[in-house]
Formats: sequence, structure tokens, C-alpha cells
Amino acid sequence: MKEIKLKVNHKDYHVAIEEDMRLLDLLRNRLNLTGTKEGCGEGECGACTVIMDGITVNSCMVMAFQAENREIFTIEGLEKGGRLDPIQQAFLDEGAVQCGFCTPGMVLSAKALLDKNPKPTREEIREGISGNLCRCTGYNKIVDAIEKASEYRKEE
Amino acid sequence: MALREVYKPKDITEVLQLLDKYKDKGKIIAGGTDLIIDLKERAIDPEVLIDIATLEELKGIAFKGSYIEIGAATTFAEMMDHVITKEKTPALVKAARSIGSPQIRNTATIGGNICNASPAADMLPVLLALDASIILKDLEGEKTILLEQVLKGKGKIDIERNQLLSYVKFKAPVDGEGLSFEKLGFRKALAIAKIALGVFVEVENNKCKEIRIGSGAIHNRAIRESKIEDYFRGKILSDAVIEEGSELFQEEVRERLINRSSGEFKREAIKGIFTTAMKTALSTIKS
Ligand SMILES: Cc1cc2nc3c(=O)[nH]c(=O)nc-3n(C[C@H](O)[C@H](O)[C@H](O)COP(=O)(O)OP(=O)(O)OC[C@H]3O[C@@H](n4cnc5c(N)ncnc54)[C@H](O)[C@@H]3O)c2cc1C
Ligand code: FES
Ligand code: FES
Repeated sequence: MKEIKLKVNHKDYHVAIEEDMRLLDLLRNRLNLTGTKEGCGEGECGACTVIMDGITVNSCMVMAFQAENREIFTIEGLEKGGRLDPIQQAFLDEGAVQCGFCTPGMVLSAKALLDKNPKPTREEIREGISGNLCRCTGYNKIVDAIEKASEYRKEE
Repeated sequence: MALREVYKPKDITEVLQLLDKYKDKGKIIAGGTDLIIDLKERAIDPEVLIDIATLEELKGIAFKGSYIEIGAATTFAEMMDHVITKEKTPALVKAARSIGSPQIRNTATIGGNICNASPAADMLPVLLALDASIILKDLEGEKTILLEQVLKGKGKIDIERNQLLSYVKFKAPVDGEGLSFEKLGFRKALAIAKIALGVFVEVENNKCKEIRIGSGAIHNRAIRESKIEDYFRGKILSDAVIEEGSELFQEEVRERLINRSSGEFKREAIKGIFTTAMKTALSTIKS
């Protein structure tokens, strides 16, 4: 057991972790942030994507102790005052969510992309979500949604 | 055994002290993208992990005289974004961009790629073509060794458990010199259908003064293809000469992989990918 402190979705946490825990386990099992999903557990699918110090990482590929003093955003951190983030809204409006398993990771990859590049081309969007696999949608609707999100964010 | 202790040291000195204290029981973790999979598959069983991912001293890219130095904990995403690598070694940026996914490139490091010593590690062919050296530190001091000399086989690299790879260095290409990286295939198909090449050429009076070819996934480790290099030195690099060199390379790969199931595919593929790599390297030469 080890105590670490970190920030998750704007909140400071002091939390006890096991040495062999991954960041994914810490988020889901200790902090009950179960929006972050585990797919492959091997860095291939992106279902476990979170934002750490401004960049996307696979939380199954980060040890919990490595997150000490770092700032994490999960899908639960996106809504503001009960309102969905424009990216989440765009995913709903464009029908980019089917089973929803890939959605949290996909939305966070989209957020990291749009934060860096507010008006990406479709090509850049595809590259930006290339580490997130979706078994349901065939990706076109997801790309549409991220394009729409880019417009929504401009209007805000 | 299981993990007993995990550390996030504040500087290199503390890393070296921990490595010295725990010896074979300790293991460095950087991006974790190889190591965490090894832990999961129980391919390794360390008692202590020492995290270097956020150590500023091990990060960054800088000029040192005519050399470029890249800190071991520099990520592929950082390499893709840095003005020095973008301007001086686009081939290295191309190799970095070819790796994994955005999430993997955000955490995976150049040092981890080297130390993991996979025959298919994508940094190695270009770094071999650049004749890169690595700088190893321990409590006694530091030493500089050619990368080529430490790669010993699949997953085998001559780095002691008390040593830290601190940075990589190589001469920045100048006028008259060109560099390329070409890769074929995907990680999922690792064992059967992957080849990577890095080519460095220096041309003087129209002739090939120096050439270095680094290859990945056509031997038990990334290597320099010295036989092919020897063929080119001193020659005018015409299409016919490149064609003949690529056939020589094909023959070399045929002999090397004679009993491998992947042999036939790689023998066929090497000619095209090498020709592209040569022509790209030549096209990047500034005069
Ligand atoms: C989904 C996925 C896709 C991938 N795709 C590719 C690909 O296309 N091409 C490719 O080449 N690789 C690929 N990899 C492999 C991996 O991402 C790279 O090899 C990466 O560069 C490893 O770096 P790391 O920082 O994550 O290393 P870690 O996993 O942290 O460490 C790897 C090894 O190196 C040691 N080590 C690390 N840094 C140091 C140091 N400074 N000094 C001493 N020892 C050290 C560690 O102890 C460990 O043994 C992929 C991996 C995944 C999971
Ligand atoms: S669960 Fe982490 S990438 Fe698949
Ligand atoms: S919506 Fe089902 S995996 Fe993407």
C-alpha cells in the first residue's frame, strides 16, 4: 500500500493504492469513476483513454503510482453544471453512439484533438481517433460528430 | 514474487541510488508500454519499479555542437513536435509517427524503445543509420557507447541493471547528407510481415562517400547491413547501381531467413522498400 495524491476532474484526492495497480484500476475501483472502460488491457483499443496533464493516455498502460501529482480528466469531468460538453452533445446529435463502450475514450480523444486543433480536417480527425477502436459505427458518424463538435465549440 | 515498492525519484542521482540498492530486483519504467504488458504476461517479475517518465533531466531535444541529443524519457509525440527533429531529421519524425497510436506516442519513449531491444523496434533502424551513441549512467559515472555495439539479440541489450540510459546522441545531418525511414507492415503482424529500414547517405562529387543502412525485423535484432553498405561506397548512385544493390540485399535476406516462414515474403518485399528508402534518402540531400 502507498498513499498518493493526484487531481481528478478538478478535485484533489489522497488515495491509498496497491503497488501493482494501474491508473485504470485506481479510477474504476478506488474512485468509482466507471465511465472509463477496460477493453483489451494492452494498449490497443483506447476504451480506457483518459487525459493526463493535457494529453491522452491509455490508463491501462499507466501504473497508478505514476499518476502521483498529476492531473487527470475522465469522461465524468466533461459536463459542466449538469450540461453536456459540446462534444458529448454532438455525439448524441449525430448518432455516433451505439453500444457506447468506445464512447468515453473516443470523446476524450476528440477533446484532446480539438483543444490542440479547433478546426481539424476529416483526415486529421481520423488520425486523432486512430487509437480508439469502435466495433459498431464504422467511424463515419464519429467523424461527423467531431466535425459538428468543432462548430458547437466555436459558437460557445 | 510481486511488486513491493514503487518509486518516483526526483532526479537522476536518486534513480541511480535506487538502481544500485535493488540491483536485479529493480526495474525502470518510462512510458510503460512494453513493461506493463511484460508484467501482465509475467514475462518479468520485478519487486521494485522506478518511474522516470516525468524526470525533466531525461527529457528534451537539444543541439550540442554538431550533435543532436535526445533525452531517454522523450516521448514519440514530443519528437514529432520538436523543431530540431522536424528540421534536421524528418526521417526520425516519420519513424516516431509510424508507432502505435496517439495515446501510445504520448507516453512511449525513445529510451524504452531502445532498452526493450525488440528486433522490430522502429527507432532502431534510423538511429543505426545515424550511427547514434547512447549515454549510460551509473553511480560511478557515465559512458558513451555506439548503439550498434549494445544490441545483442531479441530483447537483449548490453545495459547493466544498475545503469540508466540517459540520452541518445548523433551528428545532425548536414549539406551533402540524406536520411530516410521506410516501414512495411503492422505491429499486429509483427512476426511475419514487418520490415523497417533507415538509410543515411553522404554524396561527394556525385559518388557515395558514406552509407549506413539500419534494418529492423530481418534478423534477431536491428543491425547495420554492412555487406550492402560496402557495395555502395565509392559508386555513383545511379538507378542501375541501386537496382543491383537491392538485388544483393534480397540475396542477403534470402540466405539469412532461409528457414523462416516469413523468409519468402521479406525477401520479395525488401527490394521495393530498400529502393524507396535509397531514393528518398537521396532526395533529402541539400546542396
Ligand atoms: C499498442 C502498442 C503499439 C505499439 N506499436 C509500436 C510500434 O509501432 N513500433 C515500435 O517500435 N514499438 C511499438 N510498441 C512498443 C512500445 O510502445 C515501444 O517499444 C516504446 O518505445 C517503449 O517505450 P516505453 O517508454 O513505453 O518503455 P517502458 O515499457 O517503460 O520500458 C521498456 C523497457 O526499457 C527499460 N527502460 C526504459 N527506459 C529506460 C532507461 N532510460 N534506462 C534503462 N532502461 C530503461 C524498462 O526497464 C523496460 O525493460 C507498441 C506498444 C503498444 C502497447
Ligand atoms: S483497455 Fe486500455 S487500450 Fe484497450
Ligand atoms: S459504439 Fe459500440 S464500440 Fe463504438
